[in-house]
Amino acid sequence: MDKTVLVVDDSVSMRQMVAFTLKEAGFEVIEAGDGKEAVAKLNDGAKPNLVIADLNMPNMDGITLIKEIRTMRAHKFTPILMLTTESAEAKKKEGQTAGATGWIVKPFNPDQLLQVINKVLPG
Amino acid sequence: MAIDLSRFQETFFEESSEHVETIETGLLQLEHRPEDLELLNQVFRAAHSIKGNSGMFGFTAVGELTHKMENVLDGLRNNEMEVTEQIIDLLLQALDGLKSLLEVARGSGTADEEAIKTIETKLLAYQNGTERERLEAGGPRAEVQDKGATPVAERPAVPARRLVTIMWVPLPELFQRGLDPGRIFQELASLGRIHTLTVNADRLPDLPAMDAEVCYLSWTVELETEKPLKEIDAVFDFVRDESELTIAEPSAPQPPASQEMGEDEHKRLGEILVEEGEITQAQLETSLSKQKRIGEILVEDHEVGPRKITKALEKQHRLDTVARAQRGETTSIRVGTDKIDKLINLVGELVITQSMMANLTQTFTMDQVPLLQERVLELERHSREMQERVMSIRMLPIRTAFRRFPRMVRDLAIKNGKQIQLVMSGEETQLDKTVIEAIIDPLTHLIRNSADHGIEPPEERVARGKPVQGTIKLDAFHEGGNIRITVEDDGQGLNWDKILAKAKQLGMVAEGEPLGKKEVWQLIFRPGFSTAEKVTDLSGRGVGMDVVKRNIESLGGTVGVQTREGQGTKFMIKLPLTLAIIEGMTVRIGREGYIVPLVSIIESVRPTKDMMKTIVGKGEVVSLRNMFVPVIRLYDLFAIEAEFTNPVQGVLVLVEAEGTKVALMVDELVGQQQVVIKSLEKNFQKVEGLAGATILGNGEVAFILDVPGLISLAKNGSSVLV
Repeated sequence: MDKTVLVVDDSVSMRQMVAFTLKEAGFEVIEAGDGKEAVAKLNDGAKPNLVIADLNMPNMDGITLIKEIRTMRAHKFTPILMLTTESAEAKKKEGQTAGATGWIVKPFNPDQLLQVINKVLPG
Repeated sequence: MAIDLSRFQETFFEESSEHVETIETGLLQLEHRPEDLELLNQVFRAAHSIKGNSGMFGFTAVGELTHKMENVLDGLRNNEMEVTEQIIDLLLQALDGLKSLLEVARGSGTADEEAIKTIETKLLAYQNGTERERLEAGGPRAEVQDKGATPVAERPAVPARRLVTIMWVPLPELFQRGLDPGRIFQELASLGRIHTLTVNADRLPDLPAMDAEVCYLSWTVELETEKPLKEIDAVFDFVRDESELTIAEPSAPQPPASQEMGEDEHKRLGEILVEEGEITQAQLETSLSKQKRIGEILVEDHEVGPRKITKALEKQHRLDTVARAQRGETTSIRVGTDKIDKLINLVGELVITQSMMANLTQTFTMDQVPLLQERVLELERHSREMQERVMSIRMLPIRTAFRRFPRMVRDLAIKNGKQIQLVMSGEETQLDKTVIEAIIDPLTHLIRNSADHGIEPPEERVARGKPVQGTIKLDAFHEGGNIRITVEDDGQGLNWDKILAKAKQLGMVAEGEPLGKKEVWQLIFRPGFSTAEKVTDLSGRGVGMDVVKRNIESLGGTVGVQTREGQGTKFMIKLPLTLAIIEGMTVRIGREGYIVPLVSIIESVRPTKDMMKTIVGKGEVVSLRNMFVPVIRLYDLFAIEAEFTNPVQGVLVLVEAEGTKVALMVDELVGQQQVVIKSLEKNFQKVEGLAGATILGNGEVAFILDVPGLISLAKNGSSVLV
């Protein structure tokens, strides 16, 4: 069965790039433009095996989203990767405390992305 | 996996320009509302997004500049600095630099690297200023990394295959973070062979006290591997912070795993040689400088002559330019899916109606005429709706044209030492994309005039009892099938006497000629009027106003002015919503139909014999209310056979363009209707005096008259068909 990944980023180009990479690698992809949209999709019954979320988003940022996801029964243990920039060390910590599984530091290339996913997604 | 990211670049650029816009408007607003944290956050977020994404696409220069902007913005956000005019100024300058860098990244334009360097230094100075303050206040200090401290030669050699012992006591909330110990063991196994895996259950509480979601276990792994410790350590990247972790080699204690992670897989030969101490960096650079370009090598080898190379280089440059130009031409419009859905719906309706009619025609009897009429009516309704919907796709909010003005007004105000606020409304008013693009120049001109010349300097305003800050209002709204845009200022207004005096001096108005208010103000739009006044700036108005008017008229629009001395001036622009369809008057000449754009028509008259006169130097004219208007006999101009050759029998259509009135002689007026413009240039070639063609209801092709073109043709006295 194909694994499904929920990609949350307000930047369309980032989302396109991540989604494209994942689809090439055989994943199903659900996209959301911010935390709010992601929560709505999860509440609507989306069942991703992994969530990749940008931290810096309007309406609902990544940290809040991670906290929200962790309160959902179905997604208590779903791996969540956050997209950060190298300078956001404090944010990284904050994200981990909120319940993030890991992180990908921007800029990354498609191979690095897949490597990190491989790290957290149960085989 | 090799994935070409360039296909996402277009989106990146589109997105970045939106972010740039957000930053620009945000910064301008911040100047007035420095305490608005949400606004600051918005600006910060936009800068942050550009920074993060530019890295993804390898635009380092863009990333570096935005990074520095972001730091300053962060300082503002954390109250480490205050929002001052200087900071906003600097950030705006940085934004200009950013715009040029984005253009360069896009493959067009140039960036002033020197200027950008200077801006970056200034940004850094601000940032460091706060860093220093923070230090003085005893706050945390930014860590300084001395990268030169680790000599490259001391890099540990690749270890042989050995047994590495890993002890891992994970954090209890392991599972709540979506982490899976199993995954970690799998990854370890991929690095070598797991010799033993021991589970330590010491921390496991009694069953009643146990929380099923907490991880009480810890593990010891003996891994047989030849991989360096660094790689083993990397497996624990996401859990290291809160875990207890020891990774030990069997023999003597190893130096701690290097913190420098993520080296590039691909290294250049020179880099490796330097790292291995075979050569020094200086040696490498000297050798590299000896490298030659392919052209030079070919010339040296006498394969081709230097002139051929120069030619080829020129060609390369040309091709680049062409490619760039082509890239610029492919413009796209983002269309909401709801609009497309509605269109598809309509197409469905059309198909249904069409098949109903097809059905009807197959078994048609005369008693079904009412039914047929009903179907035709339906078809008409659907196609009209279809037309409107398709048109709406090309419609964009005028905001895209307005957004550049706040910045412009701010810059002009500073330059002129004035205080000006720009109030915009109706930014969401939609109109055709082409019209929006074409209206930018005239609007820029009008607003610039208002800011430069309309609004008085502060002292003068105070003396007149006006608020120190001048106001320019920019408004857009729909009215019928048109859009109206107004530019209004509360400045000094136009000076009646000066304009009239100037016009008389230029011979535009005869001494003692009675002129209405409107006519006097229209004088400023006359060609020649402005240029003659450039030096003295008549009440500050009239610089290139004729150009503004011409531009707007070429869009099928009109421009008017209202002014009160000492109180301000208001320019009113009226534009059609689209350029693809115009309101036209169908006229007949002989057996042919022509369309006269309705906007240019003033009135139509059937002259009496004594109204027609011939004036030396002006030719045939018609006398209308003390005005002599030149007559153009269209049948003459187009060399066709008309029904009437005597104006008294035909009709004179009075039209105006660029301030000149002429009377077009036709056989009769047929009626008014909307016509779709079909380009002649695209399908045939440009014909002087014709703006295009259209297909009439009866299937005939009719030409649309280009009034300004006709006027200049008539002036030159040549005919269309040579």
